[in-house]
Amino acid sequence: MGVQAIFDHAVTLTLAILCLSFLVTVYRIIKGPTLPDRILGLDMLVAIAIGFIAVIGIKTGYTLYIDVAIALGLVGFLATVAFARFVLSRGKTEDDILTEVRQAATDARKAAKAKAKADARAATKTRPASGKTGAATGKGSQP
Amino acid sequence: MNEIVTLVSAAFLLIGSLFALVASVGLLRLPDLYTRMHAASKAGTMGACLMLIALAVHSGDVGTVSRALAGVVFFLLTAPVSSHLLAKAAYSVGYRLHKSSVRDEMAPEVEK
Amino acid sequence: MSLFLVNVLLALAWSAVTGSFTFLNFAFGFVLAIFALSLIREQVGSVGYFSRAWRVISLFLLFVYELVLSAWRVAVLVLSPRMEIKPGIIAYPLKVDRDFEITILANLITLTPGTLSVDVSDDRRILYVHAIDASDPDATRRDIADGFERKIMEAFR
Repeated sequence: MGVQAIFDHAVTLTLAILCLSFLVTVYRIIKGPTLPDRILGLDMLVAIAIGFIAVIGIKTGYTLYIDVAIALGLVGFLATVAFARFVLSRGKTEDDILTEVRQAATDARKAAKAKAKADARAATKTRPASGKTGAATGKGSQP
Repeated sequence: MNEIVTLVSAAFLLIGSLFALVASVGLLRLPDLYTRMHAASKAGTMGACLMLIALAVHSGDVGTVSRALAGVVFFLLTAPVSSHLLAKAAYSVGYRLHKSSVRDEMAPEVEK
Repeated sequence: MSLFLVNVLLALAWSAVTGSFTFLNFAFGFVLAIFALSLIREQVGSVGYFSRAWRVISLFLLFVYELVLSAWRVAVLVLSPRMEIKPGIIAYPLKVDRDFEITILANLITLTPGTLSVDVSDDRRILYVHAIDASDPDATRRDIADGFERKIMEAFR
């Protein structure tokens, strides 16, 4: 019976180690600076999940779990391939997107400033003629 | 005989889970995407395969063993393909190597 | 390939004659069929079959050995307290030219110590390999050429 006790302890220890590695990988997925890092983390999660399924299959004695593991491996592979296609078709890195967004924000600010200036000029021009209403429209059109 | 099989299965389980742990620690510690890919595609695959083999050894009947081996072969075939696709996509989109990299002989090819 | 079929058919015949289709009996029949084919290797021209089978098996054994070694090396690298790595991408000139062989070589390179195939150039001459230690690219190129590429060319040509 000693062997069986050792085996039970080994299964428990394996589950604990797998949980630890699962948590570490999830931390990388949450923190991961770029999208490919997160995809790699998800790929790794699939491998760890297959490990979990194998351990649970041994623990419960249902060998049907191995079909689940194979199917999960297939789905994980297809998911990674699809994500790689997505990275390729998006065609830019996080840095590119950041610079683009910053550029767009600067442009928008500049445009708004120019528009405000033009509106103000128009308002000062129209104020003597139409009085209060011209100033009100000038204020209203300001972003 | 039965006891030896049980012990071997337990050893495979422990070693496989340790490799999975090593792979995830590598994912955490290594500096950039490409070096992390080394950890995930080698140690991670190895860990999952070892645990499937442990299941095969433990069950011992033909159907389960053949299905487990099919799973192992399938995993060994797909893991390099997916990591290769990801590396290729990431490089061609423009994710650069970490600054500790010493050479990049692919750079002139992409700029062309 | 047809000889492999004959081999399987002989093993099936053995299972049918002995009347038990268990895995062990089939494997025994397979071994018996290999023995029978090796007896008449001069007549049916199966000399190449045996040497090729041996080369494929030795490629597989090399692959398993390198996979274990590479997982071990990654483990040592990751668990060492100060990681001093010099990663980089190396261009490897391919000698094999068929799609099938390039695929196998790229897959094997990914699962071996310290290297990861990233891309193949459009003219299929150059394989770009990411190495975790690229301080000596010539040694890496030599390792691939003397290890897997030679074995692949032996096994499939």
